[in-house]
This record gives sequence, structure tokens and C-alpha cells, in this order.
Amino acid sequence: MSMEKILDKARLNDWIAALAKGGDWEVHAPALEDGVWTYKPVGDAVRMDHPNTKQPPKGFSFPQREVFFSFEQIKGEAPRLTQVMPDPKRRAVFGVRPCDGRGAVRMDRVFADNVNDPYYQARRKNVAYVGLACNTPPAATCFCKSVGGSPVSTDGLDILLTDLGDRYHVAAVTETGKAMMAVAGSPLADAAAADRKQVKQVHGEAVAQPQRAVNNPEAAPAKLKASFNSPLWEELARACIGCGICTFLCPTCHCFDLNDEMTGTVPIKGNRVRTWDNCQFPDFTMHSSGHNPRENTAARLRQRVCHKFQYFHENFGMLQCTGCGRCVSECPVGIDIVAVVNKVAEHVA
Amino acid sequence: MSHNPPDNIYLPKLARIAHIKEEVAGERSIKTFRLEFVNGDGFDHQCGQCAMLSIFGRGESMISIASSPLIKEYKQFSIMRVGRVTSAFHDLSVGDTVGIRGPYGNSFPVDDWRGKNLIFIGGGCGLAPIWPVITTAVAQRANFKNITVFYGGRSPRDIMYRAELEKLRSSADVHLSVDKSEEGWNEFCGFVPSNVMDKAPPPDNAIAITCGPPIMIKFVLQNLQNLGFKDEQIYTTIENKMKCGIGKCGRCNVGKDYVCVKGPVYSWAQLKNLPQEY
Ligand SMILES: Cc1cc2nc3c(=O)[nH]c(=O)nc-3n(C[C@H](O)[C@H](O)[C@H](O)COP(=O)(O)OP(=O)(O)OC[C@H]3O[C@@H](n4cnc5c(N)ncnc54)[C@H](O)[C@@H]3O)c2cc1C
Ligand code: SF4
Ligand code: SF4
Ligand code: FES
Repeated sequence: MSMEKILDKARLNDWIAALAKGGDWEVHAPALEDGVWTYKPVGDAVRMDHPNTKQPPKGFSFPQREVFFSFEQIKGEAPRLTQVMPDPKRRAVFGVRPCDGRGAVRMDRVFADNVNDPYYQARRKNVAYVGLACNTPPAATCFCKSVGGSPVSTDGLDILLTDLGDRYHVAAVTETGKAMMAVAGSPLADAAAADRKQVKQVHGEAVAQPQRAVNNPEAAPAKLKASFNSPLWEELARACIGCGICTFLCPTCHCFDLNDEMTGTVPIKGNRVRTWDNCQFPDFTMHSSGHNPRENTAARLRQRVCHKFQYFHENFGMLQCTGCGRCVSECPVGIDIVAVVNKVAEHVA
Repeated sequence: MSHNPPDNIYLPKLARIAHIKEEVAGERSIKTFRLEFVNGDGFDHQCGQCAMLSIFGRGESMISIASSPLIKEYKQFSIMRVGRVTSAFHDLSVGDTVGIRGPYGNSFPVDDWRGKNLIFIGGGCGLAPIWPVITTAVAQRANFKNITVFYGGRSPRDIMYRAELEKLRSSADVHLSVDKSEEGWNEFCGFVPSNVMDKAPPPDNAIAITCGPPIMIKFVLQNLQNLGFKDEQIYTTIENKMKCGIGKCGRCNVGKDYVCVKGPVYSWAQLKNLPQEY
């Protein structure tokens, strides 16, 4: 049986304090900083009237930069390797939008497929996502509904909050979510029949809000497959400046680089570091010989779009795009993944 | 290192360089390194698989395991000097310790090839990835019919595994070539694909395994097809840039396949259905 509660908005901070104290959770929530919505450890005033954060919450399990291990080696001798595992701190992330919850589901698949990624898993198992349903009109760039999501989706979330005006409806999605709701000192009250009725209505209205759409998303994987050699890609990518914003801000982009960073030379000392990388950069795939299997922006745009709408679907049976719209709203030259997929589908037999 | 969980795939095991041999000198020189695991570590591999080799402070490189899986005491790697990590390898000495993690990728289906004629076609550094298949087949000679090896380099000085190839002649037909004729060279002169056409191995009950520069592979393929080889009879390997080796860093894909997991070994029948992104 699902667990549903009601939280008086004025007591949100009491719940957060209880989570910090009783549950040993470090709580993060969106904060407006220099005009940018960013996840921050909470201070005293938590507001959750954000549209969506500039960056998705993927950094909680897959940080922009992390040290895997440090090494120290005297030349000619055996090196000493010291593994650096993530801080086991439990982190509760408030205000995660449903599209980003669905992003986490996709990241989880990648980092568990084939073999487990120990660094991702060590972080992920200590992160809880407290989602916030989208019940205000969607942004012009939102298209979650056409890629299998919904403004009230619970995928990838531990708890879903719904704003009911002066209070939140709080629904547990996972066992972790239930435990967080039942934390010692929790100000959550039982949901009354009227609350349940209201949340149903709010969700219904949210889902009914019109959004732009990927047309016929079921056909997209096959259409894209057929488009591989199409000259259309060159046209679609002509304006691309290869800045990589589209993938750095995407909740499902997982590509990374591994490098050794030296901190000393005698003895050799340093760290092996993982950082986000980007399929929009030529160097991403360029061999030492200079040969590059994806040698122009057309091939790289095709990779980004086909990964989201074809390859991932072929591998995992789901689209990799969650319709958050970040790559659309933030691209400096206005390249729009919805328009790209629709155009390809239209032009390819 | 004692508290490291055994399942940390990114943490290299340590191996000591037991032997170094210079195969090819010059600007793009090739050296063969024999690595022995230390601390009782190790792993088994299959023909065609690769390993991520580390020089701490420099980084990692994906390198084919060039020794037969039948050899358990060491693993051998032939490394061409091309950049940051590979150059650092060339500066190492016997006794130095490096990192190694793996094995990665799929393998040649050698067991399915019992009773068949095997034709190996290599060029340049491309002998290393198929060398474990050659040496395993020779070690299990009775399991296979004719074994033929074509291999070529730019000049006689670019021929790697020279002594080993000479020894191989007692159990296989070995056809060497150099691109340009030179004093003292009395084997084939010309490119590897031409040598294959010249000797014209018949496709009956045969498997052809080719590895080398892309341009060589392209013409070898054409020539094999002209000789009547079917797509299922031709195998090759793909080298895309790699960082993780486990299908997560996202850069080595050909279409939906991460080559580090689904490759590097492909039959032409498989490869021709993948987008040309290699
Ligand atoms: C499956 C496979 C098997 C290989 N087997 C061999 C072998 O047996 N012998 C050999 O000499 N070389 C082999 N290579 C190529 C070798 O991995 C690269 O030449 C090497 O990584 C270059 O690293 P670098 O630091 O010296 O060069 P840099 O140019 O300084 O390297 C930059 C980075 O690019 C990456 N990189 C560049 N080119 C390649 C490439 N072609 N393949 C993979 N990663 C690349 C490396 O990760 C490296 O960290 C193989 C590659 C693959 C994918
Ligand atoms: S954000 Fe736009 S310009 Fe930048 S790489 Fe992506 S598509 Fe190209
Ligand atoms: S591809 Fe664009 S719209 Fe889709 S999830 Fe990534 S950033 Fe959001
Ligand atoms: S090397 Fe990272 S995905 Fe293949």
C-alpha cells in the first residue's frame, strides 16, 4: 500500500531538519543564485518555486570531476595506489522534476550494465530524490509527455511532492522514501480524503497541459537508423559550434574521460581523475593517428541524437531523452532536438 | 591496497616488465613487452581480447594481448610509439612496474574453427592482435588444416616478430612482403592485399582473419571477396578510441555497440550491418 501524507508548507523546514537530525541526511534543494537555479545544501529558506534547475541533479551520483585513486611511485619501484571512495554521506535532493527522475533511471542503467561502476554505485545508493510534480504550465521547451514521461511521473524518484497551494501532498515511491517520511520528528500528517481527491485533480490537470512533441516517437528509432547516410545531417548541424552545452546539461549524458593528474614528479605522485566528456568535441573519438570516425559536426550531432533516440532504445528498450528541454533552451545557436528528430522522420522513408 | 574492494574495475592490478624487445625502430617504433603480474594477481584471457595498460602519471592505453591464452606465466603486448602513454612505455626498462586491468572485449571464435584452413593476413602493427590466434592454432596444430600467414611491412626493418615468423614456417605457410623492393629481400614486393591475390588461397573450408591499417583491410576484403570468400568467413578487429573498456565512457561506439564490450572482433557479415563509424 502506498504511503500518502500531507505537509503544511510552513513546516517544510521542520521536515528537512528532522531528516538532517533523525535520518542523518544532508539535504539539497534548488536555490536561485545569480539568476541561476542550482542545487545547494539547504539553508534556512527553502523555496521550491523553481522551473527546473540549470543543471540536472546527475552530479549527485556522477560528479563533474572525481578522483578514482591516487598513486605514488618511485621510479623503478612498485607504485602505491590508494583508492579514493566517495564520502558515504546520505544526500536527499529536494525539488527534482519528474523528467530528471527519469534521467536518473537511465543513468542507473548505464552504470549497472555489463559491470557495475563502483564510484557511481557508492554515490547513488546514498542519494534519495524527493521529486516535485510539475503542475504549472510547462516551459515552452518541455516535451516529457511525447518521450514516455509525464509531469507527475514517479520514475527514479523516492518521493513525489505535489504542490496543493498551502501544503504539499507527499507520496512515497520507494522504501527509502517511506523511511524518510516516517523519520523521527517528521511533521507529516496523514492525507485526508479531500487531499487525495485534490491531488488527483491537480495531476489530471497537469497531464492535460499542452506541450510540444516529438511526433510519433515509436517510429523514431527506425527512422533514425534509416537516416544514417542522409545528407540532412549536414544541413541540421550547419549552425552547430560544437560547444557541448547540450550534453553537459543533459540529465542522461554519461560520457567521461579518464586522466592522470600529477601533483609531484620525484616520486611520481598524482591522481587518476574522471571528468565529464562530450561527444560534440572532435577529440572525443580522434585516434592518435589523426583518423576520426566522427570527423565533422554532422556526424557528432547525429551521434547525440541517434544515441538518445535510437541506440539507447536498441540497447535498453527506452528512449534516452526525457524531454527536459535543456539542450533546446541552452543551445547558443538554437539547435532543437525535437525539430531534428521530427525533420529526420519527415524526410527519411 | 589491502582495503580495496575486489570489484573496483577501474583499479589496475600491478605487473612487472620481465622482458622488452625492440621489434621495429624509427619514428613509429614498436616494442614488445612481457608483463608478469605481481602480488599473485592476474586474469585469464581469450584470443583477441585487450587490456588497459597504465603508466601512473601518464594515463592508460588499450592494447591487444598479443600472447596466447595458453601461456599463463606472462602476457605480452606489442606497443607502437604514437603518443603520451605509448611513448612512456617505450622509455621503460625491465623491472619497472605498470598497471593493467582487463581483459576487455570479445574474442575470436577459435573453437568453432576446428578442422578448417586458417588464413591470417596482417599488416604493420596489425600482427599483434592476431598473434594469439596464430600461436594458439599452432600449439593445437592437429585441430586445424592448413595455416597460412600473410604479413607485410613498409620495408624489411618494419617487419615485427621476425624471428618468430621464421620459426613459424615449420608449422605454417608464411608469406612475407614489403611495400618497396630492397637489396637482400627475396620474398614478395608489394602491398599485402596484392600478395594475397598472388598466392590466391582458396575459400573452401577456410576462415580469413585480417588486421592492419584501415586502407589495407579495405583492399584485403575486396580481394578475399574476389577469391570467393563469403562474409561469414572473414574476421577483423576494430580499434576505436577507448577510455573505460566497459561500455560507460561512451566514445568507442559503432552505432549501438560499444566496441570495448561487443568488439573488437567482428565477422564481415556482422560489420557490414553496422554504421561505418570506425
Ligand atoms: C581494441 C584496441 C586494441 C589496440 N591494440 C593495440 C596494440 O596491440 N598495440 C598498439 O600499439 N596499439 C594498440 N591500440 C591503439 C592504442 O590504444 C593507442 O595507440 C594508444 O591508446 C594511444 O595512446 P597514447 O597516449 O600513446 O596516444 P595519445 O594520442 O597521446 O593519446 C590520447 C588518448 O587517446 C586514446 N587513443 C588514441 N588513439 C587511440 C586508438 N587508436 N585506440 C584507442 N585509444 C586511443 C588513448 O586513450 C589516449 O589516452 C589498440 C586500440 C584498441 C582500441
Ligand atoms: S549546444 Fe548547440 S551549438 Fe553547442 S554542441 Fe550542442 S547542438 Fe552544437
Ligand atoms: S536530450 Fe535534451 S531534452 Fe532530452 S533529456 Fe537530454 S537535455 Fe533533456
Ligand atoms: S571504451 Fe568506454 S565505452 Fe568503450
